[in-house]
Formats: sequence, structure tokens, C-alpha cells
Amino acid sequence: MKARKLIENIRKTGRTFLTEFESKEFLALRGIPVVSCQVARDEEETVRIARQCGFPVVLKVNSPHIVHKSERGGVFLNLPGEEAVREAFRNIKRNCAAVDPDADVTVQPMLKKGVEVLIGTIADRQFGPVVAFGLGGVFTEVLKDIVFRMAPVSTAEAEKMVCQIEGNCLLRGYRGNPAVDTLSLQKIITSISQLAVEMEDIEEMDLNPVVVFPRGARVLDARIKISQIQSG
Amino acid sequence: MTEKDIEVMQKLFSPGNVAVIGATASSERVGYNLLDSLIEGGYKGKIYPVHPSLKEILGIPVYPSLRDIPDRVDLALVALNRRDTVEVLERCGELGVKGAVSLAGGFRETGEEGRALEKRIVEIAEKYALKVVGPNTLGIMNLEADLNASFYPVRLKKGNVSLISQSGGIGFSIIQKCQDEGVGLNKFIGAGNRTVLEIADYLEFLAGDAGTRVIGVFLEGVENARRLVQAAGRVARKKPVVIYKVGHSDDVNKATLTHTGSMAGPYKLFRDIFNQYGVLLAGSVAELVAACKALSLCQLPAGGRLGLYTYTAGPAIVALDGLAGREISIPAPAPGTVRKIKAILGEDLPVILKNPIDTGGLGTRSGTYGLLVEAALNDPNFDLLATFSCPHKNWRNPTSELIEAHKKSGKPLLSCYISTIKGVEADREVLQQAGIPLYKSPEETAWGIAALVHYSRGVECLS
Repeated sequence: MKARKLIENIRKTGRTFLTEFESKEFLALRGIPVVSCQVARDEEETVRIARQCGFPVVLKVNSPHIVHKSERGGVFLNLPGEEAVREAFRNIKRNCAAVDPDADVTVQPMLKKGVEVLIGTIADRQFGPVVAFGLGGVFTEVLKDIVFRMAPVSTAEAEKMVCQIEGNCLLRGYRGNPAVDTLSLQKIITSISQLAVEMEDIEEMDLNPVVVFPRGARVLDARIKISQIQSG
Repeated sequence: MTEKDIEVMQKLFSPGNVAVIGATASSERVGYNLLDSLIEGGYKGKIYPVHPSLKEILGIPVYPSLRDIPDRVDLALVALNRRDTVEVLERCGELGVKGAVSLAGGFRETGEEGRALEKRIVEIAEKYALKVVGPNTLGIMNLEADLNASFYPVRLKKGNVSLISQSGGIGFSIIQKCQDEGVGLNKFIGAGNRTVLEIADYLEFLAGDAGTRVIGVFLEGVENARRLVQAAGRVARKKPVVIYKVGHSDDVNKATLTHTGSMAGPYKLFRDIFNQYGVLLAGSVAELVAACKALSLCQLPAGGRLGLYTYTAGPAIVALDGLAGREISIPAPAPGTVRKIKAILGEDLPVILKNPIDTGGLGTRSGTYGLLVEAALNDPNFDLLATFSCPHKNWRNPTSELIEAHKKSGKPLLSCYISTIKGVEADREVLQQAGIPLYKSPEETAWGIAALVHYSRGVECLS
């Protein structure tokens, strides 16, 4: 199985975190809709890929040593053209040089605005694999609006999760904003809950944010943590 | 649990004889109190105290060792220090004893040495197929068999509620609250350190136990929560399980924090997952007992449509407040009910005929109370009814009216008399005998209602 092989290869390097690029590759193998990104090694390649993507684009640092990319000044959003891309590339290199001078970047298209949510799994000490769902950003971090289930979950249970969060009205449409496609969210929730059960060496998956539109949802950023001990 | 395991457990809770190892003549010691409890509880089987030199305790002949007991022992109560406990459990195994309760503390909760001794207990239990309750427990009770195998010599009201408690102190607190509420008990299990028998094992045993209609559980923390919640979910499909778990504050169990969990706190994780499996959670000892009381006495309602009948608005409103977020619907009374009430009280009424149905001052009269409650209870819009009243020196309590209306309708009926325990003791006895729980506060009434509606939905185990 390709996904398993991918994890094995990363384990061999001694790392516990998959990069965004690797995490998305892994999720895509399981049919989870991601905003795919491409790795660019230098400025010219970055510009070339950005043109292929179509502006505006997003540039992010790509390094096995950097887990929290924005904290390092490694994320630039909504870059409208070539000049902005070049400048962002240099900024990323400069900001991240101290941690990883060999860091390169990923390029991905800038998506239009939707509702941002978080979908994740944890290997809980007591419950084993657990899946979590919440609204993104401040809703989860400050208001603690997040719900949990023991994995795996059915689509019906995933639906209950989506309904259970306090900020559910933001998904059902408010102040002229259209309702979003919660069915797509339910599918992602069930898929990763299944993944967390099947692959015991996954300690954490953090799909954050996942952006959901009136039709469809895409994983914008993802981080996967694996255990270092070989599972049977 | 296999059928064989269940058989052993049944013997453990309904033993033909009990040995008390570590029995003493000193009333301050656990060994003495185990004997006293057996006597106080009215145990009718043989009792074999074991002590190396004493001849008699509390009038019962003492045996110098386990080997000297002429019978095969069904239940061994071990009240010795931790090292001697391990020794004696091994002797029990050799002699073919299948059930033991180990009361002493000093095991894993104290560190490495205690942990090693517990490991020995597990090995002994496996080697001899010996079921061990504890260690570090208050003991067990089976009121059906007049067995009080705890070191608290009490005689309790018999009934159909069984309790599992991880803590002896809170176990006792739940027992006492049950006594105060007139809730009869069937079995009590002090799970203690859960070295051999886990909470999940006790749940599975009680699921098949004919005398147990409702299971109340107090939890602190468990090692294998996955197995526990799966077992609780399975059992809850057969009979109601109510769990009170401490740890609402993150400070209580910081140890369970994980990355995503830390955003919301482990209690939320626990709560969401137990809800996922359809198990009812209580937030306090009082709520646990209020829920068990309703589930113990009432038939489950056909649905979640609640009617409230009162002559004093406040308590009904507070009960409604307590039901917020419990997915209980409060429909308006059917036109037929309103017509019936008007026929009883007159057309031009200074009262509110919504839900709660508040008949105000007119509702306190004993001549009409029964008719009014009957009208409310038989409303086709309600699956269950709660009534609220305030006992008064010069007004008779509507106890007989409630019993009469309930008898005719068969729908679940809960009553709330705002009172002290003393003020309602006699009424409560007859009401509860008739299957109508009596609460003294609207909050507790709400907890009882919520429990009934929760288990009326049927438990779907989705995972």
C-alpha cells in the first residue's frame, strides 16, 4: 500500500512529522481532497510553478525541520504576481535560514474564501484513535468549540459531530453567506477516522484549516505526526 | 466475560459461605468490621473468620488458617497488609477458591513496590482462575443475598439499582444519597484498583444480572477507556447505565492531556465519546442518584414530549431550565386537555393553560387535583408528566390522587414536593412503591426526567 510505504520512508529518516507536502500526498492517496502543492527548489522554479498554478498563489516554507511555518515567517498568502512571488521567496529563505538554510518552498493556488474548519485525529492514551472536529482558528483555540468521537465513525456520526459544534450556524449560512457543503466535511471526517484506526503508527493528524465551500471542501494545510516505534 | 466467568461472579456475589481472613476482635480494624457487616447485613450463609490464635469473634468460631476451614470457600475476604494479601491469595488459589475481595491499600497507588505486588496478584489470578475484587476497596454488597461484604456495617434498603464505584468514599456517598432518596439497592461493587476485575467486567456481569435494573457508575480514571466505553455502550442497550465521572476541571486529570485534547480539556473528550455510545452521564452524586431513581421506578416513556403540571410556577420553570440542551420537547397541551381543565375549573380562568400547565390557587384544592392531574397525564401530546407542589400545613398532599391517575394511565409520572426529607418521608414511600419517584427539588426532578427520556430513545451503538 502506497500510503504505508510513504510513512515507512519518513520513519527511516528518523523524523516524526511529515511536511505539509508529504501530509497532503498521504491524504490524497486516500482520496481526501487537498489543495495540492508543488515543491520549488529555487526562485526561478518557484516563479515557473506559480505561473502554472495561476495567480494569486500561496508560498510556504518546505522543511522537515519547521513544523510551525507561520511562526517562522514562512507563509505568504495571496501573492498577485511574479514580483510578489520573488519577494516572498527571498523573505522565506531569509526568515528560515537560521533553522534550515536548505529549506525550499511549496507553491499552491490561493483559494477563494470559504468557512475554515479543523479536522484532526489523536492517538489518545485512554481511548485510542479519536477524531476531532471544530471551526478553525479562534473558535477552537479560544472558545474551545470542538467535538470528539472515538474512531472510526460512520457518516451518520460525522453528521452529528458537525451539528454538535456551537458555531454550527456558521456552516448553515448566516448574514447572506450561503450554507456550506457539510457532506464533504463528513466524508473527510469518516476517511481520516478510518485512517487513524488502520494505521496505528499515526499519532496525530491535524488538517487545519480545511476550507469548505457551498460545494466541496479542500484541505488547505495538514500536519501528520507518526510514532518512532515500529508497530507490529 | 465467558459464561464460566459469569458463573464464578455469580458465586462471588451469592456465596454459600464467606471466609474473613484477617478477622480481629478490635472494632477499629477492617477485619472486625467485615464480620460485623456480614452480621448486620443479615447474611445467612456460613461465616468463617480466620485468625492464627483467636478462638471466637462476635460469637463466631475462628479458624487458625484457610486450610482448617472444613468447606470449600466461596468468597474470601482478605483484610491483611499488602504482602500477606498476596500470600493468602495464592493459598486461596491452591485451595480452589474462585472469588476473593482484597481490601488493603498500599498497592500501585503508593509506587513501585506496590505495583510489583499487584502484578503478582494478576499472575495468581490467572494461574488459578481466581476472580479478585480490588485491592484497595470498601468491598462488595449483594442485598438480594443479604450479603454486606464491606467494612461498613450498614443495612440498606433493597431494590433494583446496582452501583459500581472506583472510590470507596464516593461509593459510600452514593449509597447514603440513595438511602436519603428511598432508592433501593441491589449490588454495590467497590472496584478499587481494578487489578484483576475491571469496571467493564462488572458492567458485563450486571448486564446479565436479573436483580439489576439500573447501573450507576462512579469513575475517576481508567486505563482502558476504549474497552470501558464499548462495554458500557453494549450494556446500555440492555439496561440503563448512568456514569458520573470526575474531572470536569482540567486540573483533575492533566495527565490525560493530548494535543487536540488540550484545546478543550479531557472531560469534553470523555463526555463526547460516552455520548457517542449512548451512555447517560451525570455531573454529580445527586444527579447520578436522581437519574437512577427515575430509571429504577418508572417505565420508559414512549418519547421525549414532557408535560409539566403545577400550581406554583417557579419550580416548573427551574425544572425546565435544568432540561435545557437535553433534547426534550415541551409541547402545548392538546385542545381536549384544555377543554377538560376548563370543565373542571370553569371557563373564565385566572390561570395559564400552556406547558407548564399552571392552575395557580385553583390547583391546590384536593377535590379537583386528581381530575386535573388525570387530564394532564392523559394528554396525547405528552409522553410523560412531572408535577410540582409545595406541601402545606392546611392542604393535603396530592399523593393518593397521583397514584390513582398513574394507575389508570400507565404513563411515566414524576412528582416533586418542595420539602425537607422529614416532611415527605411517608408520602414518598407510598408514591415510590407505586412507581412514582418523588423528588424534593426541581433540579433533581429534571435529572430524573432527562434520564427517562435519554433511555427512551434506545441506544444506537454506531461504531
